[in-house]
Order: sequence, then C-alpha cells, then structure tokens
Amino acid sequence: MEKPDLKLGKFFFLFAVIGVIALPIIIFQAFSVNTGEVLAKVNNAPVSDFDHNARQLYHTYNNTTPAYMEGASTARTLNYYYSLRQYPGSPPIIPHDMVDEKGQEYVCLSCHERGGFTQSMNRFTPVTPHPQHSNCEQCHVKPVIKELFQGTDWVSVQPPKLGKSALAGSPPVIAHPLQMRENCIACHVGPGTVVPIRVEHPMRGNCRQCHVPEEVRELFSRNPK
Amino acid sequence: MTITRRHFIRSMALKSAAVAAATMFPGISFASWKPTDLPAGSIQWNKTPCRFCGTGCGLLVGVSGEKAVAVKGDPRCSVNKGLCCVKGYHSVQILYGKDRFKTAYVRKNGQMVPTPIEEALDLVAEKMKTSIQEKGKDSVCIYGSGQWSIPDGYAASKFFKGCIGTNNVEANARLCMASAVTGCLTTFGLDEPMGCYEDIDNADVFITWGNNMAEMHPVLFSRMLANRKSKTHVKIIDLTTRSTRSSQAADKSMIFNPQSDLAIANGICHEIIKNGWINEAFVSKHVSFHKGKTNIGYGTEDHFKFKDKAETVDFEALKTFLEDYTPETVEKISGVSAEDIKYLAALYGDPAKKVTSFWTMGMNQHTRGTWINNLVYNIHLLTGKISEPGNSPFSLTGQPSACGTVREVGTLTHKLPHGVVMKEESRKMAAKIWGVPETNIDPKPTYHTVEMFRALDRGDINFMWIQVTNPMVTMPNLRRYRDGAKKDGRFIVVSEIYPTPTSDVADVILPSALWVEREGFFGNSERRTQHNAQLVPKPGEAMCNTWQLIQVARRLGFEKQFPWSQDSYIEDIWNEYTKFHDTPKHRMAPYKVLTEQSGVQWPYVDGKETRWRYNGKYDPACQGDSFDFYGKPDHRAWVWLRPYEPAAESPDREYPFWLNTGRVLEHWHTGSMTRRIPILHKAMPESYVEINPEDAKSLGVVEGSKVKISSRRGSLVMKASINGRGNPPTGMVFVPFFDESYLINEVTLDAFCPISKQPDYKKCAVKLEKV
Repeated sequence: MEKPDLKLGKFFFLFAVIGVIALPIIIFQAFSVNTGEVLAKVNNAPVSDFDHNARQLYHTYNNTTPAYMEGASTARTLNYYYSLRQYPGSPPIIPHDMVDEKGQEYVCLSCHERGGFTQSMNRFTPVTPHPQHSNCEQCHVKPVIKELFQGTDWVSVQPPKLGKSALAGSPPVIAHPLQMRENCIACHVGPGTVVPIRVEHPMRGNCRQCHVPEEVRELFSRNPK
Repeated sequence: MTITRRHFIRSMALKSAAVAAATMFPGISFASWKPTDLPAGSIQWNKTPCRFCGTGCGLLVGVSGEKAVAVKGDPRCSVNKGLCCVKGYHSVQILYGKDRFKTAYVRKNGQMVPTPIEEALDLVAEKMKTSIQEKGKDSVCIYGSGQWSIPDGYAASKFFKGCIGTNNVEANARLCMASAVTGCLTTFGLDEPMGCYEDIDNADVFITWGNNMAEMHPVLFSRMLANRKSKTHVKIIDLTTRSTRSSQAADKSMIFNPQSDLAIANGICHEIIKNGWINEAFVSKHVSFHKGKTNIGYGTEDHFKFKDKAETVDFEALKTFLEDYTPETVEKISGVSAEDIKYLAALYGDPAKKVTSFWTMGMNQHTRGTWINNLVYNIHLLTGKISEPGNSPFSLTGQPSACGTVREVGTLTHKLPHGVVMKEESRKMAAKIWGVPETNIDPKPTYHTVEMFRALDRGDINFMWIQVTNPMVTMPNLRRYRDGAKKDGRFIVVSEIYPTPTSDVADVILPSALWVEREGFFGNSERRTQHNAQLVPKPGEAMCNTWQLIQVARRLGFEKQFPWSQDSYIEDIWNEYTKFHDTPKHRMAPYKVLTEQSGVQWPYVDGKETRWRYNGKYDPACQGDSFDFYGKPDHRAWVWLRPYEPAAESPDREYPFWLNTGRVLEHWHTGSMTRRIPILHKAMPESYVEINPEDAKSLGVVEGSKVKISSRRGSLVMKASINGRGNPPTGMVFVPFFDESYLINEVTLDAFCPISKQPDYKKCAVKLEKV
C-alpha cells in the first residue's frame, strides 16, 4: 500500500522540481524579448537601430522648425558645459533643482526632449541626444553637497579640440564617440546649445555626409601589419 | 627645400603665435595640418568639378603658392550650390600622398625599375608595334574609365579606332553604366537622362530603386531632405535589398528579394492600368509598345553572344502580359507586400503628384539591367510623368565623367563619338573629322570589358593599356583575370598615380597627372559638361593621360592625326570633338563658355542650356511645343514588355547566402585615392562583412568576429559588422569593395546583362563560416 504512494510522491516531487526550475526560465524568456525586433515583425518593417541610430537624426531634422534651428542664446559656455562632467563624454550632473517653487517635481523629458525656453529657469533648455532612454536618473544625478568623502587624485584627458579640420575651412571630424550621441542636432543646433559647438549651418540635414568620426589614428598603408 | 634663416624665424613666429592663441582661447584648436609659411591671404580660389562621383559638384580649390591647400563648395554651381560631402572637402589631399608615382617604372627581371618617361613611352610604342605586326591589330587594347577626362577618352578612341583600326577600346563604365545606356537607347533611342537636378526641388515623391543616396550621392540626397523639410507632403520611398542610411531617412523602406525589382515594376504597371491611372492622352500620342527576346542567358561562358530583336506590339498585348504580375503574385516573388505594391502604384498613379525615380548600381549591375531600366521608364511613360520639372526617371552615375567621356565620347567597343561602328555614316563622319581613311574604322565591335579580360587570359589580346582605373580590384571573378594578366607574353601598361593591385601586375607604370594638375573636362549625370584648368604643377615626370596617348600615337607614326602643341592641345581637342555633336540634339558649349561657367548642360543651343529634353517647352530639338521623343524613328518612347527572370546564381543548400557588394560614404571606388586622405582612412579604415543580427546569432558571430565568405570562385576572411553602417536582411551579406586587403571580387560572379554586358556585382551565392 505504501509503495505505490511513495512512487507517486517521488514522481510529483520530480515534476515540482522541474516546474520550479523551468518556470522562472520561461518567465524570464518571455520578458527578455527584444521589443524592437518584435515591433519590427509586427509592422513588417526592418529593424532600424543600426548605423548609430541614423533614423533618429533624420527624424529630428525633419521635425525641428527652422526658427528653432536658427535660434541662438549665449547663456552657456564651454567651460560650464565641461564643469558638469567628470571626463569628456561622462553623463553630466543635474545642475538645477528637481522641484519647482510650488514643490512640484520636474519630469526631465518634458523640457529636455524638445528644448525651448523654460520660464521657471529663465533659460533655454539643452536637448538630450537620447530621449528614448527615459530613466534619466540612472546616469544623471543631482549633487546635494560639495564636500568630498575623501580627497581624490582623479585626472582625465583634455576635452576634444574644436575645429579639428584637415584643411583650412574643411568640415571638422566628429571629435567624440557616437554612442548615445547619435543625434547631432540635439547638442549642435538651437538656442540651448553651447555656443562654441553650435553649428553655423543647421539647415543641412545629412550631417555625416561631411563630418565623419575618427575610428583609427594611423594613416593608410598598403600592407598593414 | 633648404630652410633659410628668414624662413626659420618666420615659421617660429607663426608657431609661437599659434601657441599663444591656443592658450588664450582654450578649446579652440589650431589645426591638425602642418602650417606652411604661406600667409592665409595668399589663397587663390579656382573652380573645378569634384574628382569623385558623377554628381559633379562644383568645387573651389584654394591654391597658395604652388600647392592646393583648401576646398570650398562653388556657390555658383547649380549642382551643389556651395555644399560638398566629406570626400569633396578633402579632395585636394589626394594630390599629396607620400607614395605618389612621380617617375615611370619598367619591369626588368621581375623588378620595377625607375625609368625616364620618354624611354618608357618608347618601350610602350615598340611593344604595341610588335604586337600589331605579329598578332594583328586586335591583339592590342586600351581599357579606360569614367574618370578619364574627356580629351583622354577622345584621344584614345581616335588613336585606337581611327589610327590603329581596332575596336579594342573599353572603359570601366561598362561595369557601372552600360545598362543605363542600353536602357536609354532601347526606350528613347538616345542616351542620357532627360531631366536635371532641379527635379529634386520640384518632386512630391522620391522613389529610389536599390540605391543608397545618403552615402553615394550625399549632396543630392541633402537636396531631397531639404525639399521634404520645406514642405509637409513630400515623401521619400526607399526600395532596397538591404537597410541603409537612406532607409533610415526614408518615410518608408521596402526590402525586396534580389532580382525581384523586375516583378515589382511590372506589378506597379499592372495596378496603374487596372485602376485607370494611365495617362491616355500622353500614351496615345507619345508611346509605342514592343517586346524582345526572353530567356536570354547570363554570359558566364567565354564567347557568349546575344542580340535582341524588337517586335512591335500594342497596348492590349501589354495588358495581357501584365496579367502575370498581380500584386499578390509580385508579393510571392519579391517579398514586398501586395499592399505596398499598391501603395507604390498609387504614388506613381496619382496625377497630382510629381514623381522622381532615382537609381544607380542596384538597377545597372544586374543580369537584367537593361530590362529593369526599361521597366522603370515604362511606369513613367504610362503615367506621362517624364521630361517635366519633378517628373523624372533619373539614372545617376558613379564616376565624374562616365557620361562625359564614356557615353558621349563613346569609348566602348561598338561606339564612335557619334553613332556606332556598325553604321557606315557614323564611320564616314569619324573618318572625315579624324583625317583617316574610312577603311581604317572596323565595322565590327570586338570585346566588351569582361570578354576583353577573358581574351587577355586566353592570349587573344597580349597588350593592354590601362588608364585611370583599378581592374585588379574591380573585375568580378577577379582571380581568373589577375592570373591572366600575369601570364607570359602579356604586356600591361598602367597609367596611375599611386601603387594599386593593378600597378602591381604592370610591366610599365606611367605616372599620370591628376585632376587639377592638368586641364580637362568632365561630364556629370545631368548632361553637364564641366571644365577645369590646370591649377597646380605636375609632380616629377607625371604626364597628362591625353599627352601620354598623343606621345605614343606619334611614335607609331600618327603625327598628322595628333598635331597639337602642349600649350593648347586640350582646347584643340575640344574644338575637334564637338564637331561630332553639332546638332540641336547634342550641341556642346564652346570652350570659352566652359572655362567661364561652373558647368554647362547640353544640348547647348543659341547660348541656352537645355534643362529637360524631349519636351517642346524646354528642348529646342523638339518639333512643336509638346513632347517629342525624337531619338526613335517613330518619335515615340518605347514601352517594353520585359518579364521577371531569376538571377544567374541564387542561394542554395551549399551556398545559402546572397552576397551583395558596394561602396561606403568615405571611400570612392577602390579607395586608391580616398584611402590616402587621412581623415577618410581614419573614419573607415577597413572593409567588413555586414551580417543580419539573426544570422550572426545562429552562426555564433559577434561584432568584429572573423568570418570566412566562400563562393564557387574564391573565399575571403574578414571581420563581421552587425548593426553597423547597413543591415542586410536574413540570408544576405554585404561587403564594401574599397579595401585591397580584402578582394571581395575574388568571390563575385562574372555574369552580365546580355544586352548591356554589364556584370552583376550585387548577386551571387556564398556560404559563411566562423573562423
């Protein structure tokens, strides 16, 4: 009498173990789907996150008004721009309060997605080159004190040189990596930009037709080693 | 250069000023170029067409002392209105690579030995002479290029066809433009587009057929983007076999299976007729219907011959023919949904929309290249959207003078500067202008490019002179042709500026003067002839290609045909050449006008350029105010019934991937010039194979992994690129061909369009292995 029960019990136990192991895997699989790919399949469209998200740039170009493109303000300087960073290309800190006078919290993208003048801050807003990432505070934080815990010997490289042209008057190369900064218009066009990196010809939409990144530093050799 | 005390002090002062300025303005850089002691104010700006693609941008080259030091876009040039691309802005740097050929080289005991150029030219002439004496005039040939300046091609044609009497004259434009030529000739009877770049400002819809203009014709692409930005309704539709930067910019991108563009074009026509979108007034007056042979082969075997035969049919025949191309059938062939086919037809068919179609190598490098050119013209003809501002089927060129030198001068085996060798009146005209007996010009064409290299391999040709092109990188099925060129008894002369895989196989290297080191003319995609003056001195013993040809022709006893002096030979050649085109259908601007203006479009009649041909409103060659397709004897444009036929080689079990090849923004063709421009090499240092992320996953390949690509002809190991510049669909890989360290053409197939003889570089079957 006891024996078949034991057998049955073992069987159910085994089944339960498999279930316990398999279930999280199945659930994990279900949620780890690349949404871009799925959406692309649904829409019967190709995945278009290649070539440094080139689509985003063209889209922004097409949707930015000429008035905004021509807009200029001299409020921000390059020194200020770098003062918010730890090294060239690091995520800048949040330099302003996160709540307004009435105690209402700001939603970052409501200003930083499209730019323009922000009354409460009395200045033009810089635009993020990557509005698709909306968990801003994952990378951008607000310092609340000035003192360090311990001193530091931190040093970093010089910021990239501006106007790095190969010839007098030729278009400068892209001085920074493109990762997370694919959308040229965000930082180089409009009144929120830093003046020294503001482009003089914002109405040109195919930026990388003239400006190319520097992938290597060596010159061409017919028989590279 | 010896440095005097004065030079030294001056350069020190300049450098210390720069350092001082750099400390005063942190963040402002003072250049990665080495400043010379030339003051900034010494720059003289001179106009020239760009050296690279067929867009034909006007540049202003800044010259200081004897050096080209800077570039601006030429605001007076209507092509680009002051904008260039990254290649154009740095183009002058092609003049100053360290390994530039400045002297001739002759192979002696296997080694290339520097030789005075006169001696090298003597040797070239002597080798030609012996080859002609021993093996006949058809044993020598010249292989030129769409980068030949117009006088180069003209001198080559006159020398080989008129003087020696061989039709062994070909140019690399056979590899890039031949299908566009046969497409124009079969549909309109005359070559070259009817429209111009102003179409870009006037169109409501752009449909690009298998081309990536954001990278390959960036200046025209920017003009499209600007048009779309300034209006709310403008649409860019990208028909492509692989997602590119242009797809990213387009409003809609449709990916089709390789070769199925034939079915798509027919499907669009099917819908246009079915929905009554046909422009009946236009069709009844200006269009006639024809069909040709089908099942026409692929030319992969030696001595392949094909001749099409036109049969006149009627509209009903077209309608019946198109019954096979319902959107649903086309969906099955092409992978593009029936809905999208209907959408395309609706765009073309909407009488309120002006539609411009653009294409380049996707349609031309195609084993049915002539057919697909015909079929896209069909769409524009049935809807009457042609020869008007914004309504334009527009074939773009890839080389600066593919139109000017190859298509207009006729540097192809069957062509003469006016007409073809087969026609007696054309031969008579050429003989008269050239001052040679009419019997000199052989009425039979000899070899088209692929067959010419096969003849070199077989030994039917044993002397080849290659100018301004790099076939040892660009020939499909390359291994056969490189081995052929290296065989005993072959003598290869290469006129070049830098060492390349082609100069590696040469017996004589002649150093060429490049672009603004000599005077010349280019002809761009929109029938615009552009003159450039010599702006800087030639380096060392470098010699203009035209002058090299003249020198050798004179050594062979043709002083009478080549009498010109070195001061004025370019102008003299222009004046002689333009006699061939002296009718309202093709009159060229006089020399003086060309030197003054930033390009002039032909037909140039009574001091006026022709923007749109075949339309009486704009074209003085038309009879009446309406459309007149005067290229054809019936004064009608021909609609052709051309079916879908599969590619020469398709993926199978053993070789499951399509291989597609092409260019990138930074490098122009084989990179022999652009790789010597520092920033272009740094931006795009080496070639790669683009693989779809899903395929990469199943191969176990990540970004940068080494992958072996093999076909039935050869194999190659290179790095994988995933989600890089472009993104092929599953089952396809793409490789840029600019890198001589990765000769992808050892893998490609030498199948070609039987009508145009242009090879298909976009389709063959390969397999991939992770290394």
